Amino acid sequence: MSQYTAVHGEKVSLLRVLGPGHVWALGVGIVLVGEYMGWNFAVGKGGALAALIACWAAGMLYTCVAMIDSEVTSTVAAAGGQYAQAKHIVGPLMAFNVGLFLVFAYTMLEAANAITLGYLVQTVGGMAGFADTHDKPFIVLTIMFLAFLNYRGVYATLTFNLVLTAIAFVAILILFASVRPWTDEVLKPHELLNGLPYGWLGVLAAMHFGMWYYLGIEGTTQAAEEVRSPSRALPLGTMTGIITLLIAATMTWYICVGLMPWEYLGQAVTPLFDAARLTGSMPLMILLFIGTIFSTLASANGCINDASRAWFSMGRDRYLPQVFGAVHPKYRTPFRSIVFLVPVALIFAYFAPLDQVITFSILSGLLEYTFMAFNVLMFRKMWPLGTIRRGYVHPFHPLPAVVLLILCSMTYFAVFLGYGTQLLAMMVFYIVASLWFAFHRYKFVKRGDQFSMPWPRPVGH
Amino acid sequence: MAKTIYRPPVQSKLGQLIDSLFLLVLVLASLFVPVYFGLAGGGKTTLENTAKTWEGLGQNATMQAQWEKLGYTPETAHELIVSRFDYSFSVPALAITAFVVIAYFVFVFRWSKKEYKDVISERFDR
Amino acid sequence: MENLNNFQLLEYAAWGISALLGLWMLIDMIRTNRAYSEDTLLSSKEGEIEDVLVIDPPHQGGHR
Repeated sequence: MSQYTAVHGEKVSLLRVLGPGHVWALGVGIVLVGEYMGWNFAVGKGGALAALIACWAAGMLYTCVAMIDSEVTSTVAAAGGQYAQAKHIVGPLMAFNVGLFLVFAYTMLEAANAITLGYLVQTVGGMAGFADTHDKPFIVLTIMFLAFLNYRGVYATLTFNLVLTAIAFVAILILFASVRPWTDEVLKPHELLNGLPYGWLGVLAAMHFGMWYYLGIEGTTQAAEEVRSPSRALPLGTMTGIITLLIAATMTWYICVGLMPWEYLGQAVTPLFDAARLTGSMPLMILLFIGTIFSTLASANGCINDASRAWFSMGRDRYLPQVFGAVHPKYRTPFRSIVFLVPVALIFAYFAPLDQVITFSILSGLLEYTFMAFNVLMFRKMWPLGTIRRGYVHPFHPLPAVVLLILCSMTYFAVFLGYGTQLLAMMVFYIVASLWFAFHRYKFVKRGDQFSMPWPRPVGH
Repeated sequence: MAKTIYRPPVQSKLGQLIDSLFLLVLVLASLFVPVYFGLAGGGKTTLENTAKTWEGLGQNATMQAQWEKLGYTPETAHELIVSRFDYSFSVPALAITAFVVIAYFVFVFRWSKKEYKDVISERFDR
Repeated sequence: MENLNNFQLLEYAAWGISALLGLWMLIDMIRTNRAYSEDTLLSSKEGEIEDVLVIDPPHQGGHR
């Protein structure tokens, strides 16, 4: 696609070029890596069956998230996604916190992806007989290359994501078909499944990593200022995204538990690649290796996109230094935010331990979903149906919000079981950051201008 | 009732830089503090009375075959098979954690509401 | 030994490309900051939800 130098009337904005396919690729692309690695720690936490229950419970959590998100964002279509929602519905301090949830959840996930990719390249180097291989150059290259792509324009970035994600998804489908799940020649779930080794507490504990099947699908909303028709493309892309993930997650579970003892699966680094290895087929191994690499790339790519949009919107409103609110006149991307987050991601990828980074990411997501439940309840109360134009109205309100809150509480408990100290450390971070914002940063923010939607005055205010 | 519009001060470049760095340092601190104090991660226990044979580890023929395909022997797989997470926890710790999370949300929602009032009145009362 | 050098070559290439990409972004950012006024760069506004409201007409309906 050709780039235009576009400065009309001295104004630049992000470029509206994306369709529903890109939205799907952004949402699924970030998450699909979770099927290639990570979800299986849920097996370690509670056994294979617990992982399936967690997969579906978390699936329900995210279906609620997708439904709620689709409705609110089809109305509040602004870069920054949930951040802009919070700003319009709850208020500035909540919005600041949500913005931070987004930036840190995505930047840390990006770092985790880069670490994994570096590790994979290093492993392949080792397997090919090279001694003394390093992962660091490939970690850095991944982050740099994807940041470069993001800097140069959103259309190429997300088209790239669409291709990577589609290939990674098809790889799971092909693997599923090749193990002939309708027979018991390859998959032997009856002989490998062993009930619930930790009982029902294990099921609860498995929720911690059950989130990995879907974590990041809510990032579709970050593209709101870059899609051609937000009120249509965002709900469509998000809904098809969650459906894709539910299918991929269940297939992945079935393939893996039919091939590996749960004690192995529960700590495997690359479970789907191991599954391909166990089929003994070289083409499948290559395919799943490519799928693993592509899914980490797609995920890191989407994360850079989402984190920079959130950082950019906060800069635009002066929640963060205003310099970050700049748009590149030629490439039409939030270029300063993209560049600023590069060293941040590098620091996380270089120095922080992987499980800390991942836990911080999961917890930031969890705080965000808790916010979303309250957010939609307030949204329906302050602007009842019919008072503003909604691109999508989710059914069964307020049931999804209530279910979401219950599932979130369960997941907090699951995280508490494994990472109680990190949970507290992270709460301290968000509390200190909140105080900093309330008593220092907010004085730089224009009050009325933050409310940018052409809506009537909210009911009750 | 038209209120006066709030005019925020303009932040200097240095102030902007300090604010960006502050957040970065804060997030790194919260990542590393649990690690440095050795408080990261949950506890583990091991199953007892297990011999280092497939039978002793309770693995049936299918499991055994898959372990071997993955390149394990009873000796190398032993560690993986007998290791279990320790899910015991103290109720006071749970209560404190729950309190912190709930208090955080209450504070953020209340404070936001206060700030939101100004936003709405400036936006709609002009 | 031959093989070892190949992988090391790959590692050096990765470092090199990373440095080039980083440098390119940095230079482009500095040049862009100089070429346009800060007001222009910061002129994007939130809330332009439908195509009709987008400010630059050539891009309505996105790319073709």
